[in-house]
Amino acid sequence: MLELRKDIFADERDDNLNEIGKGTQRQDMLGHVTGASTYFDDHKLQGMLHLKVLRSPHAHARLRRIDTTEAERAPGVRRIIRGADVPVNLNTLLSLINFGKDDEPSLAVDKVRYKGEPIVAIVADSPREAFEALAKVRVDYEPLPAVFDVEEALKPGAPVVNETYPKNTFVYHDLYDHQKLRFGDVERGFAEADHVLEQRYQMSPIEHAPTETNGSIAAPDTNGRYVVYTSTQALFFSLDTCAKILDVPSNTFHFIGGTVGGGFGGKVDTLTEPLAILGAMLTGRPVRYQLGREEEMQFGSPRGAERIYIKDGVMRDGRIVARKIRAYFDSGAYTRLSSYAVVKCAAHLPGPYTIPNVYGDIYCVFTNRTPATAMRGFGVTAMDFALECQMDKLAHLVGIDPMEFRILNAYRDGDMKAHRREAKNTALIECVQVAAEKAKWPLREDVKRMSSRTDGGGSRATISPTPREPAPQRAAASQQRTTYDRAPPVATQPPPSPTPPPPRPSTPAPSHGATRFSSVFGTRRR
Amino acid sequence: MPVTVKTFGSTGEAASALSSDRSARYLGGGTLVMRALNEGDISISTVVRATDQALSRIDVTSSRITIGAGVTFAKILAERELAFLHAPARSIGGPAVRNMGTVGGNLFAPNPYGDFTVALLALDATVSVQGGLGARDLPIEEFLQSRERQSGALVLAVSCQRPATADAFRYRKIARIKPKGGSVITLAAHLPVSSGRISGARIALGSMAAMQIRARAAERALEGRALDDAAINAAAAVAAEGVSPTDNALGSAWYRREIVGVHLRRLLSGLE
Repeated sequence: MLELRKDIFADERDDNLNEIGKGTQRQDMLGHVTGASTYFDDHKLQGMLHLKVLRSPHAHARLRRIDTTEAERAPGVRRIIRGADVPVNLNTLLSLINFGKDDEPSLAVDKVRYKGEPIVAIVADSPREAFEALAKVRVDYEPLPAVFDVEEALKPGAPVVNETYPKNTFVYHDLYDHQKLRFGDVERGFAEADHVLEQRYQMSPIEHAPTETNGSIAAPDTNGRYVVYTSTQALFFSLDTCAKILDVPSNTFHFIGGTVGGGFGGKVDTLTEPLAILGAMLTGRPVRYQLGREEEMQFGSPRGAERIYIKDGVMRDGRIVARKIRAYFDSGAYTRLSSYAVVKCAAHLPGPYTIPNVYGDIYCVFTNRTPATAMRGFGVTAMDFALECQMDKLAHLVGIDPMEFRILNAYRDGDMKAHRREAKNTALIECVQVAAEKAKWPLREDVKRMSSRTDGGGSRATISPTPREPAPQRAAASQQRTTYDRAPPVATQPPPSPTPPPPRPSTPAPSHGATRFSSVFGTRRR
Repeated sequence: MPVTVKTFGSTGEAASALSSDRSARYLGGGTLVMRALNEGDISISTVVRATDQALSRIDVTSSRITIGAGVTFAKILAERELAFLHAPARSIGGPAVRNMGTVGGNLFAPNPYGDFTVALLALDATVSVQGGLGARDLPIEEFLQSRERQSGALVLAVSCQRPATADAFRYRKIARIKPKGGSVITLAAHLPVSSGRISGARIALGSMAAMQIRARAAERALEGRALDDAAINAAAAVAAEGVSPTDNALGSAWYRREIVGVHLRRLLSGLE
């Protein structure tokens, strides 16, 4: 049940707002629960054709020859669409906001870069006839070496996945192969720390699995316009993307959406609309293009898989004094939204904690896997998982209750964040206190009295000078280097350089994403 | 070519329609066939159905029970006399799948599905099949081994002996997504006891080979012994003998080999 703690930060809240802080029924809720809501696929238009797509069976292959002559003669086929028929056959969602280069073709031309990449589209009278015609398309593939691991993709000599980015990394601001964060002197922080803990976290891609798979219906309208019923989550992004790919003014289209049968980020890419509209343009008939479930999983993007290395320096009293993070986001074969996820991730380091020395390098890497995209807090969720696992391990290491350990290191108002902005209205301490209370997790009295509004600022608000080159590491004689899971410690990382990328650690990683760590319960004192 | 749907009143007519057309597929509950059609399987151009009531009949009047091929898992769950099959029936899909999916269709479900068939294999079931030449009964193991060649035949029913006691038949499905995920491993054991010793042990495994298989080494380890710790440990130690699992998204072949003994031990010990 919703409970608003109005006693906390009462002076900062305006209770005269009409919506915020009040229970309001969503306007589309009644339609959803009564089954009256209309989805894009509820539109059955007269003379509607069906579009299906031939997809690559290879993760990486050159297209030597595509022969569609037999498919053209197949019954029910109205039109075959190839890459050359697409007016602007290279796109990225983010190019609309000048972020990144166009790199993904609507239909592959010279080579395919992931299993499931579209090559030829067929518009036919029925889905069945489209499938039968697809079976008659002959493609001569020359399989190429493929790369599926982010760190393998960064090694010199790795196969080039996407020629737009020949080093297999997204290029930020036309200059940088990764996003960085530098604050203070992290190497000095490690040298001063009582304990240093380095861990590796590996996430998996996650399929959004919407009940309604991605799809759209495009139909010719009057005055040369086209009406498009679509499942998109980003109606105007889709409209502008289609205008760009099809090289027409955006007022050519009337997009109708708004009811989405499950999205969670998986319907933010414009996957089906451009070809559905192109099919309607080429045939003069309404065209429906909906992904099957396997297509949804092969072509619709998953959450990107991240690999995160965290190295923390912590004092015996529980203060984290240095945090170094190196992370690789698996973008798959093309840029959909992973490059933006990296920016979000960099903006989220080092988590909601005040740490005087922070060092972060985040890479967006291309591999021969399904392109990844947005999903519920993308760029932040995985990093938070890794950071909070790390916080539990650090708390265990220094023998402090994990809740109290978080409160100890939490931002307070007036502190300096690693992004060189003063922390305001932080409230993390109050959140942890309330969470502990709800979970009946005992906290010490003095910790219960702590507040995000006190003890901030002062020395915690200073920006210490950041060396341009990291200082040589000077480990204190008493320092304890700790690793979990009885594996040898991960090798120290090399200093950052744009190229070549950092090598893989020389020893096997001590832990993967599914680290078992139950000692949070072992540290409860009462 | 559009898909043709042919509906017959008798199983004989349906069986001859199936055996005379290589592109014909029998539609039971449709959880496999409709999915294949929707995903663009163009090898199916005729869908055959039969409305014969015998297909959805359950006969529990004697110690040998007979279940029509068209009986759904929801119907098994509603039948009190089939309590020993409730655990396998409940382990299949969500309610929507159990309302549609049939016992006959489950015999054709590929990995990581076909869990009910694992239970039937442990129960030494008999499969009644109607082909172009008439009806015959096949031991389930023989049926599964020739499953790929059975596409022209129509399954009419399965039958098996009712376990003597509730404890004699045990079933366990290991899945990552509960309650309706695909199987990492499925185990079923029929352990008839005669004068305190196991006689005629049957242990079946799902997702441990291309199709459901028997763990013969584990069966031998239990045969003629009391179900004590020593026998259970002996069976668990050889559980992975003769299996050939493959990697899939739910688990690697290595993982399956590692855990099959652990789960067999738990199954035999009655541990949750």
